[in-house]
Amino acid sequence: MTVAPPSTPPSLFDRLTGRGHEPRPDHPVVVLHDVTMRYPNGKEALKDVDLVVPEGDFVFLVGPSGAGKSTIMKLLIRDELATRGVVIVDGDDLARIGRRAVPRVRRKIGIVFQDFKLLPRKTVWENVAFALEVTGTPRSRIRPAVDRVLALVGLTAQAPQYPAQLSGGEQQRTAIARALVHDPRIIIADEPTGNLDPVISWELIQLLLRINELGVTILMATHDAEVVTALRKRVVALEDGRVIRDETGAGYHRED
Amino acid sequence: MITFVVFSLRRAWQGFWRNALMSLAATLTMVLMLLLLAGFFVLQNVLLASLGFVEQKVEVVAYLQHNATQSQTDDLIVRLEAMPEVASVEYVSRDEALRRFREAQAAQGREDLTRYLEANPLYASVNVKLRSPADLRTVTDALQSETEPIVRNVLNIQALVDRVLTVTTFVRTAGVAMVAIVGVIVLFIIVNTIRLAVVARAEEIEIMRLVGASDAFIRWPFVFEGALVGLLGALIALGLLVAAADPLSQAMVGFFNVLPLQLGSLARDTAAIVLATGLGLGVLGSWVSVRTYLIR
Repeated sequence: MTVAPPSTPPSLFDRLTGRGHEPRPDHPVVVLHDVTMRYPNGKEALKDVDLVVPEGDFVFLVGPSGAGKSTIMKLLIRDELATRGVVIVDGDDLARIGRRAVPRVRRKIGIVFQDFKLLPRKTVWENVAFALEVTGTPRSRIRPAVDRVLALVGLTAQAPQYPAQLSGGEQQRTAIARALVHDPRIIIADEPTGNLDPVISWELIQLLLRINELGVTILMATHDAEVVTALRKRVVALEDGRVIRDETGAGYHRED
Repeated sequence: MITFVVFSLRRAWQGFWRNALMSLAATLTMVLMLLLLAGFFVLQNVLLASLGFVEQKVEVVAYLQHNATQSQTDDLIVRLEAMPEVASVEYVSRDEALRRFREAQAAQGREDLTRYLEANPLYASVNVKLRSPADLRTVTDALQSETEPIVRNVLNIQALVDRVLTVTTFVRTAGVAMVAIVGVIVLFIIVNTIRLAVVARAEEIEIMRLVGASDAFIRWPFVFEGALVGLLGALIALGLLVAAADPLSQAMVGFFNVLPLQLGSLARDTAAIVLATGLGLGVLGSWVSVRTYLIR
């Protein structure tokens, strides 16, 4: 077995099967430097934002609606380009890569939304497989990858069911499975528990923590103060497009 | 590459059937629009043929002096045939002219009064068919008595021909304009219908984008699906046209026979236009509709 070079860390499944290595905290997986985002309508969604996220970090993005959380996520998947400043994802400066390289960057990022965004006419299995099909993965590799990731989120039994037959928590776990199936560096979750009741929310957070322990960096925007305060992870608070707080081991609200 | 093509074709097929109602609506719109286009195309061709038929009827008739000799007449005919404006020249002798006159009178059920005459009063003539009625004056001028002594006079139909030309030019332009307008309408309606079918799947496209599908993987299934709609629409439209063509041409067989219309080539052109338009607009419609969703 050859040793993987540092630029290609072991895959999620290598880590799952115990063949993996520890994440590299010295490797910043997300860098925002001096980022300003002004939309064509003149609205400034972000002002001089600096944010460095080392690999393996678990970051809560908090702040009122319209503070800029969604804009940061759009910048990271290069749905938008920053008006000013540098956005780097896993070593790629998003302003410098060509349009053709965008899909490659997006495959390093798994996205989870508040409203799940599952396709209602596909089964759980097909929804997850869809992410691989549309990126040109050979069918022979799709089956084992989907089966493994469904086992990871605990949905093996629900694989043949349609989203409408599932509970909210199961639907969100399907979405997480889909986000994971590309073996991403980062999971971006935009209010993933927003539509779920507290007990189910906790189950979902437990799942995200497990995934984080496997070395996947997690960036989660949330309004759930209870979860944030209880977990004591890194908290980045945004207000009116600026980072007003960036603390490790903090609560949802300023505590000093 | 093979994965990509198989994927795109499979997705196009699935997309067509999973959204059956939308696909049906798009295909039906395609069929109707193609029928409209084909109808106008055929009409335009019949119109052009009719105009050509009318214009063919324009000829310059130069009456010859009784004393014109055979060699003078032959000489005139040779010189006329050499003119670029002239399509053909026919010599009508005095006897032939009388025979035709009698025939025409008989056809109209009139009594033949010429038999009371002692001699044939008619003049021999050269009847000149023109390549275009617009050249009437050039040929008429060349046949004046001053330059051609054996010519007695030229039948003056300039005013009539001018009117015919005004009408045919107008109808030709109007025909082209009509086909162009119908073409643009067809274009917009088809593209818009396909856009609706694409917009109905915006969520799916959104997910494809987010999981890192490349532009080609997003675009081509829709382009193939558009091509499928176009091809299916064209085939149905052609089927309807074939079914309608036979009784229609039976009813109008007399009319068509007069016209210098090549039914075979017209049918082939119509089929080609329907197929090309269906396929082309299906592809174009999908291409522009899906562009909105690609990477900026």
